[in-house]
Amino acid sequence: MAQSMAKRTAAGSGMRRRARWRKAAGTGLFYAAVALVLVTVLIPYLWMVSGSFKSSVELQAADVTRPGMEPSWIPRQFTLDNYRNVNRTVPIMDYFVHSLIISGGTMVCATLLAFFAAYALSRFRFPGRNVYIAAVLSTQMLPGILFVIPYFILFTWINHRFGIQLRDTYPGMILTYTSFALPFSIVMLRSFLDAIPTELDEQAAIDGASRVRTLFSVIFPLARPGLVSVGIYSFIMGWNEILFASVLTGRRTKTVAIGLLEYITAHEARWTMMMAASIIVSIPVVVLFTLMQRYIVSGLVAGATKG
Amino acid sequence: MAARAVPGARPQQRPAAPRPPLMTRWRRTLKRYGTAYLFILPAVLAMLLVHYIPMVNGILVAFKDVNLFTVSSWTDAPWVGLDNFKEGFDPNGRIGARFWRSLWNVTFFGAVTIAAGYVIGMAVALLLQRPFPGRSFVRGLILLPYITPDSVAYSVWRFIFQARIGLVNKWLMALGIIDEPAIWLVGANSIYAVMVAAIWKGWPFAALILQAGLQGIPQEVYEASLIDGASRWQRFRYVTLPMLAPVTRTLIIISILWNYNAFNQFYVMLGKDPGVAADVPSTLILRETFTAFHFGVGSAMSLAVMAVMLIFTAFYVRALRRQAMEEM
Repeated sequence: MAQSMAKRTAAGSGMRRRARWRKAAGTGLFYAAVALVLVTVLIPYLWMVSGSFKSSVELQAADVTRPGMEPSWIPRQFTLDNYRNVNRTVPIMDYFVHSLIISGGTMVCATLLAFFAAYALSRFRFPGRNVYIAAVLSTQMLPGILFVIPYFILFTWINHRFGIQLRDTYPGMILTYTSFALPFSIVMLRSFLDAIPTELDEQAAIDGASRVRTLFSVIFPLARPGLVSVGIYSFIMGWNEILFASVLTGRRTKTVAIGLLEYITAHEARWTMMMAASIIVSIPVVVLFTLMQRYIVSGLVAGATKG
Repeated sequence: MAARAVPGARPQQRPAAPRPPLMTRWRRTLKRYGTAYLFILPAVLAMLLVHYIPMVNGILVAFKDVNLFTVSSWTDAPWVGLDNFKEGFDPNGRIGARFWRSLWNVTFFGAVTIAAGYVIGMAVALLLQRPFPGRSFVRGLILLPYITPDSVAYSVWRFIFQARIGLVNKWLMALGIIDEPAIWLVGANSIYAVMVAAIWKGWPFAALILQAGLQGIPQEVYEASLIDGASRWQRFRYVTLPMLAPVTRTLIIISILWNYNAFNQFYVMLGKDPGVAADVPSTLILRETFTAFHFGVGSAMSLAVMAVMLIFTAFYVRALRRQAMEEM
């Protein structure tokens, strides 16, 4: 009896041990999978950082076919020259300023226009409201390439007819990107404003505040998280856009998104400088996104899951 | 009319009273909703100028012979009927052949990247369901590819795919899979190189959306399936997947719509002319328009792309409506 008891507990502890072992193996596997995901995500960034600290001589000499000369993860000659000379062959810092002005302008214009439009949609049931909502939503579905041609022609025509040059100017680019940012911004801000009770508007009206006054001193502060995320969305949109920038910008307004490509020409490939410039170009976007991650992500998710 | 619906509500308006004249009605509407119209006016103007007017013009340009000389007063350019469409879609012509090939390329590209992005996104979303220390940090970190500017991300991938100094060939050589460095960014391989980069950049968005979808599944459903003795796979197959169907539908259709716009990854990695094997409608149209200055042909081809997208948009709207019905 006592013997069988001992046996059973031994068997039990064996099973328990095996279960514990299986659990440990499962946990190990789980962390290995997470690590694999992280490595996959990070490898291009690490290669970018590593490349930005290599000398161009080292990279030109590198060759995967020659043992000992393969491109390495750790720079053989660590150098900061790429960052120091980043502006030498390509005026990337000028492009950086252009991008700051265009994206900043887009941010202010898009947020303000979207705020007005979203407020109207949220507080008034005016005739034509549904048509307007449909029109706003449908523009998100249309291809950029469809607009870029007639848009270019329209700019040329305006210049020819009225003598107003919009191509390669800040107002032209800000107008373009503002309009791109509007649909998503309006939809997102509207859901923010819908959450603010209309009693607040009415209270302000009773106190004798005008509509505009209410808008700026009552609604504006309450909608701040929404406004900030819409603003950052617009900024990032302007910072990253390539298609229209490649057609509509020239020497005076070229943005970083296409300026970055100038490091590689038919004659020379300045990869190390391009990697250094890539890091500099990414900084504003990554910083802004990290600061506002919560709001932007919830907005994106709402936009994709609720349509 | 309202008076007829609620008799006696407005005694001054007889059921048979004539409707006020148009101008009066307009003025009344304007008086009541003027503020609202004033508020949406700037947004409407901006979108008119950038979206709607060019869209209408684009349709007109497709039927005109607009070139470098007529572009500044394009309205006076001669009408050419369907000539631009014939040139753009003739499978035996130079441009037409490229166009059909580009449409196939972008479809193939989308099928692979969207499917792979969805599978990887789903796997990671499920993986990160399990709580562990540092989970929210990992969830934030996997968004990096998604938020990195396209020009930066695809430039880095272009660097990675270089033949002699690239990471991919370095690894493939080290593993002994290839003896000679492969040429990735020219010729038949190029579309696959862009695919790898696009999958890397695209799956975090799928993971993000699916994560939100997973959080929306009530825990009780899983508990019920556990009581019924469902295995892990069965729980995934018969609970998770069906519950995620609405999110999946929206995600896939949005991805398809974006895919037909694909431009950045090809332009950054392969340049203005990605070559026959990796040309997509956007790069082809851009080149035909702004390098060869065939504005009319370019417009005709972009209308065709829009037609394809409208078909998918119709699916999208139907899916949304079905989703709304299910939620009610």
